[in-house]
Amino acid sequence: MRVTGRSTRPPQSLILDTCLGAVFHTVLVFSLFLLFAGHNAPGGGFIGGLVAGAAFVLHYVAGGTGQVTRIAPVAPFVLMGSGLTLAVLVGMGALLAGGQLLESGVLSLDVPVLGTVKTTSALPFDVGVYLIVVGLVLAVLGSLGGEADRPADEPEGTGEARAR
Amino acid sequence: MLALLLGLHAVLALAAPALGRRLGPRVFLVCALAPGATAAWAATQAAGVLDGSATTQVISWVPGLGLDLALRLDGFALLMVALVSGIGAVIFAYSRWYFSPRPGLGRFAGVLTAFAGSMLGVVLADNLLLIYVFWELTSITSYLLIGFEDEKGSARAAALQAILVTGAGGLAMLAGFVLVGQAAGTYSLSGILADPPGGGVVGAGLVLVLLGACTKSAQVPFHFWLPAAMAAPTPVSAYLHSATMVKAGVYLIARLAPAFAAGHAFWRPLVMGLGVATMLVGGWRALRQHDLKLLLAYGTVSQLGFMVVLVGAGIPELTFAGAALIVAHGLFKAALFMVVGIVDHQAHTRDLRVLSGLGRRMPGVAAVAAVAAASMAGVPLLLGFLSKEAAYEALLHAHLGVGGALALAGVVAGSVLTFAYGARFVLGGFGAGSGQGAGGHDPVGPDVPRPAPAFVVPAALLAVLTVVAGVAPAVVDPLVGGGAGALDPAAGKAHLALWHGFTLTLGLSVLTLAAGALLVVGAGAVERFQGRLAGAPSAVGVYSSALAGLSRLADRVTAVLQNGSLPVYLGVILLTVLALPGLTLLTRTRLPGGIVVGESPLQVVVAGVVLVAAVGAAFAHRRFAAVLFLGGVGYGVAVLFVIQGAPDLALTQLLVETLAVVIFVLVLRHLPERFEPSVWRLGQATRVAVAGGVGVFVAAFSLVAAGARTAEPVSGAYLEQAVPEAGGHNVVNVILVDFRAFDTLGEITVLTVAALGIVSLVQAGRRPQDRA
Amino acid sequence: MILVLAVLVGVLYAVGTYLLLQRTLTRVVIGLAIMGHGANLLLLLAGGRAGRAPIVDGPGGGAFADPLPQALALTAIVITFGITAFLLALAYRSWLLRSDDEVEDDVEDRRIARLARRHDEARRHDEDDS
Repeated sequence: MRVTGRSTRPPQSLILDTCLGAVFHTVLVFSLFLLFAGHNAPGGGFIGGLVAGAAFVLHYVAGGTGQVTRIAPVAPFVLMGSGLTLAVLVGMGALLAGGQLLESGVLSLDVPVLGTVKTTSALPFDVGVYLIVVGLVLAVLGSLGGEADRPADEPEGTGEARAR
Repeated sequence: MLALLLGLHAVLALAAPALGRRLGPRVFLVCALAPGATAAWAATQAAGVLDGSATTQVISWVPGLGLDLALRLDGFALLMVALVSGIGAVIFAYSRWYFSPRPGLGRFAGVLTAFAGSMLGVVLADNLLLIYVFWELTSITSYLLIGFEDEKGSARAAALQAILVTGAGGLAMLAGFVLVGQAAGTYSLSGILADPPGGGVVGAGLVLVLLGACTKSAQVPFHFWLPAAMAAPTPVSAYLHSATMVKAGVYLIARLAPAFAAGHAFWRPLVMGLGVATMLVGGWRALRQHDLKLLLAYGTVSQLGFMVVLVGAGIPELTFAGAALIVAHGLFKAALFMVVGIVDHQAHTRDLRVLSGLGRRMPGVAAVAAVAAASMAGVPLLLGFLSKEAAYEALLHAHLGVGGALALAGVVAGSVLTFAYGARFVLGGFGAGSGQGAGGHDPVGPDVPRPAPAFVVPAALLAVLTVVAGVAPAVVDPLVGGGAGALDPAAGKAHLALWHGFTLTLGLSVLTLAAGALLVVGAGAVERFQGRLAGAPSAVGVYSSALAGLSRLADRVTAVLQNGSLPVYLGVILLTVLALPGLTLLTRTRLPGGIVVGESPLQVVVAGVVLVAAVGAAFAHRRFAAVLFLGGVGYGVAVLFVIQGAPDLALTQLLVETLAVVIFVLVLRHLPERFEPSVWRLGQATRVAVAGGVGVFVAAFSLVAAGARTAEPVSGAYLEQAVPEAGGHNVVNVILVDFRAFDTLGEITVLTVAALGIVSLVQAGRRPQDRA
Repeated sequence: MILVLAVLVGVLYAVGTYLLLQRTLTRVVIGLAIMGHGANLLLLLAGGRAGRAPIVDGPGGGAFADPLPQALALTAIVITFGITAFLLALAYRSWLLRSDDEVEDDVEDRRIARLARRHDEARRHDEDDS
């Protein structure tokens, strides 16, 4: 997303920044937990994605669009695009494996440290959903939020509009 | 093979625009390949087909609609193909000389080829719906052909008139086809004709089909589009008037008449009455025209009436005479139009008051014109005479009572007019006497350049055929007999004959020629008499006032229905919901048993809170207040979800509500603090009433719907299969990502699109220099 | 068949309809969101009485609540969120261009209506003249 470059916010306090750093990462990890636990307990891609989105909203409240853009790993549409691709690929994969479109199967893996990890092919699909929801929130913050950073008394474009 | 030939037309039609840029007018010779090949192939099939064995080809297209690409070449189809493709090839050759190089010629040649292919499709199709498809294709392509000189307003108006009249008729015909097809249980034309359905519905369907046929074949009162359509380049007129388009209606009537004429009392009076009226109106109008082409156009109207009388009667001998007339008319009318084209091309005028002495300047062209016009007028030793003799003979012995006598009288009178305007055409166009500077113009004629021989050859060829067939009827007799025999086996037994003996028929022919000659001698008096009648109401006037009325009606209806106010639209939709399903709910259903007030006291309390918040949102005056109330509703609903046993929903709701409030705040920062009062079209009371009605309806509906369940919920299976099949314990999540994952895939696509929309809406508002 | 929820659904729809019939885009969006809440509750209501959260081997006892309406409603919640954000972007754009967020009558439609009126008047004039 775009960096507005002329933020009207007051400089941030060190304490707020530090706290935010801690909380932000905790929330992100929690969102991942919700994502992976979602198959068996309340949670899933939508909820996880929304929680992660809420973490970015915290950053937005603290530092505006500029800060969100700095923190976000990639542009929102990259997230959404890869999420959608992932979801479609999972569906196609089931088709290739001889099943129906989007049919899932159970996988068991033996991971050296963690022991036996049981997962399903539906998990990547849920990850796709997660990425799309996060991307949606970031896109909204970057566009509508970016506009909100402007000084309210100098709305853009309205000068011409009013003159007309 | 049949489909292949149609495909050849399509390919050449598509290729012609590109070819035209390179070849100029010679592109017509390339396009002539399509009709030429068709005619040649038809000739190889002729022997078998005329004996009664049809060639068919069926390609399945939309079986569910009963629509197949069913093509069938029987005797009558062969006769029509001979005209459509045979005359078509001649006209393509003629076009090569008629047109000088000009832009758009390739496109024109392409459309003309498509037109030929469409007409071929009409006569070959053995499926009612397929006939309709090709039928409309001829309408559309003829629209493009008539309006070819699109810089002329008159050409555009004529093209529009033609497509409106024939298109409207075509729609009526489609409805008629559906009625007939449903009654018969099949849309196969040959199937329906073999076992014609009866009854009132079929009668109504036939009237609609006849309406379509009559608009296409320019029968009174729809005849006016045809004379106007002469705005088209002359080769188009020659083709359209002789072998295609207008013959489509005649073709259809000829197909249906043997099966339906006897069974429906309205058929003969309607069809034959219209035919006679058209024959007389067309002939009468032709007599007062000064434009050679317009004269011929009204002549075509008249001849079409004649054909409809013959083929529409459904009587074997008349059907035979009609088939003969179709062939004869195709030959002489194409030749006549080509002659007009030559005159126009060389002399740059078609006004018979101005033309003078052309006969001496180009005797060959004059001879062709004289032969063709004489055939039209029914002069002996020409094909036209044979068909007219057959018609008189058949009408004399048709046993149709008073109606038959009237039809005979009308046909004789029409033939007298035909003789008169045929003579007017030849004498006016090529004679010496009439062109003495009438109307203040200098006579044109003695010094026009002579046409290139190849320009005249196509017309001459048709004239020679007319003579040969007239002298030796055996040449065309198999074609006409086979064609008529395919319509009605009894009609195939008749034969064309040069000499019937001294019979009443011969007397009528002599009478026709004598009366016609008298009319020619008294031409001046007739013209003056017609001038005095000029104020009569015309069909064109009715057409244009109907068109203007339709446009006004559309304006008014649009103004009422589409008034541009969103609340009014919504109000109408909601009132419809209240009126239709609402009324049913009120009268037809009873409340189910087992209604409880609430699951728990907490649920009642939370529901009350949500209710208050919702009402607050409705009546808040400040934007922020309204959004906060909305947030309250959302959080309250989340609690209700928990009570209902839906933790996933509750979590989602909480998070979404939080994010939604943030987004609202982002946008509302810019907007005024308070809602501004504005002028309403829909009053406050109306809105409250509609809203209240919707609320009551939905509440009642939700109670009834919850109690209306009869089947086991599908989710029982989901609960059982979640762990063994999908490996998940959270059934809601399993449904989302596995059982109904396709829904979810659609949903996340919608989310992506929404995000794209949001970003572009905001970005579009930025000034260019801000767009980083 | 829970009366209090049925009443609440009715009220939410009524409020949503009332707001949808307004001309201020902000109120229309709020109305749509409230109607969305009503629709989600309606879905849940159609699934029957409350029950245990549909998590196999999860805590609690008794019958499960129907999971299918829950899945549908979850989808609906997220979609409504996307649509709300989109409509707000529209409102914002409307504000950018015209400095308010009123839904005006469609200009083209009004022009057609004016045209029809003018034709009628012209015709009346013609008839008066003749």
